[in-house]
Amino acid sequence: MLPRAFRGTARLFSTERLAYPFSSKITTPDPPYESPPESLYHGKGLMEHLHKTLPTPEKQELLATLFSHKHPDRIRPGSVLRVKMEHAPTSFAGVLLAVRRRGVDTSFVLRNIVEGTGVEMQFFANSPHLKEIKVIRDHTGKRGGRSVRRAKLYYLRNSPEKMTAFASGVTD
Amino acid sequence: MIGLKSTLNVIDNSGAILIECVNVLKQKVNNGWGSVGDEIVCVVKSARPVTAAAAASAVAVKVRRGDVRRAVIVRTRKAVRRPDGRLIRFDDNAAVLLNNKREMLGTRIGGVVSADLRMKGWGKLISIAPKII
Repeated sequence: MLPRAFRGTARLFSTERLAYPFSSKITTPDPPYESPPESLYHGKGLMEHLHKTLPTPEKQELLATLFSHKHPDRIRPGSVLRVKMEHAPTSFAGVLLAVRRRGVDTSFVLRNIVEGTGVEMQFFANSPHLKEIKVIRDHTGKRGGRSVRRAKLYYLRNSPEKMTAFASGVTD
Repeated sequence: MIGLKSTLNVIDNSGAILIECVNVLKQKVNNGWGSVGDEIVCVVKSARPVTAAAAASAVAVKVRRGDVRRAVIVRTRKAVRRPDGRLIRFDDNAAVLLNNKREMLGTRIGGVVSADLRMKGWGKLISIAPKII
């Protein structure tokens, strides 16, 4: 039992906050590499492990915000996006028709009318060649877009007038 | 996926409007499928009327209905995969007419073409195209 004077001072003397309590400039090395558990080598929990480790941290953030189901900033079908890529064409803009959420394999389809011909492009979110996704017009009527009541807007392929209502004047 | 009996729009100024595929040249069988950048043998199904003056001039080759020509596919409705996994799909099938030496018959291209042509060796065509996606 500690003497009465020292009863409340246990936290002050604790060394849990700093590894080296007498100086804050001392940094600890990274924790040693822990090899994956034995069960992973036998295939248990393999896909879960891949979902966590395969995408880079930036892409994981992208997946958690733009492509999640409930995040307030998620992209919704009917909004107009502009995508910047490394390969040609470096920039493509279009109406978001569909989001296919499959973890690492998440992809989305943009549709635009270019020189009189409809063009659809499906982009994979975790591709390192995909540099930036920017929302030009939101799907709700408040920020200048139309509201939709579907998750997949494939009906836009057959109605050019609705297409122009969504994406009038959007160029790459 | 262009094969026998597939119709394509012609987007150059050679005079043809609609062509029908008869044979896909890369395949050694008759029931092969062609995609963007493949050369096909085609029959001109409909063409713009050729006036007598235009027929006499040697500047541009004007094709007539019923001609058998070669063409290169520049747009397909079937999605084509890019090396980084992207898929691209157009609303129609389109082609540009060629002669037997893989040179264009027309002088201008009107419309968007697929960038996959560059990978298949049609750099000259791409350089004339107004828009490449």
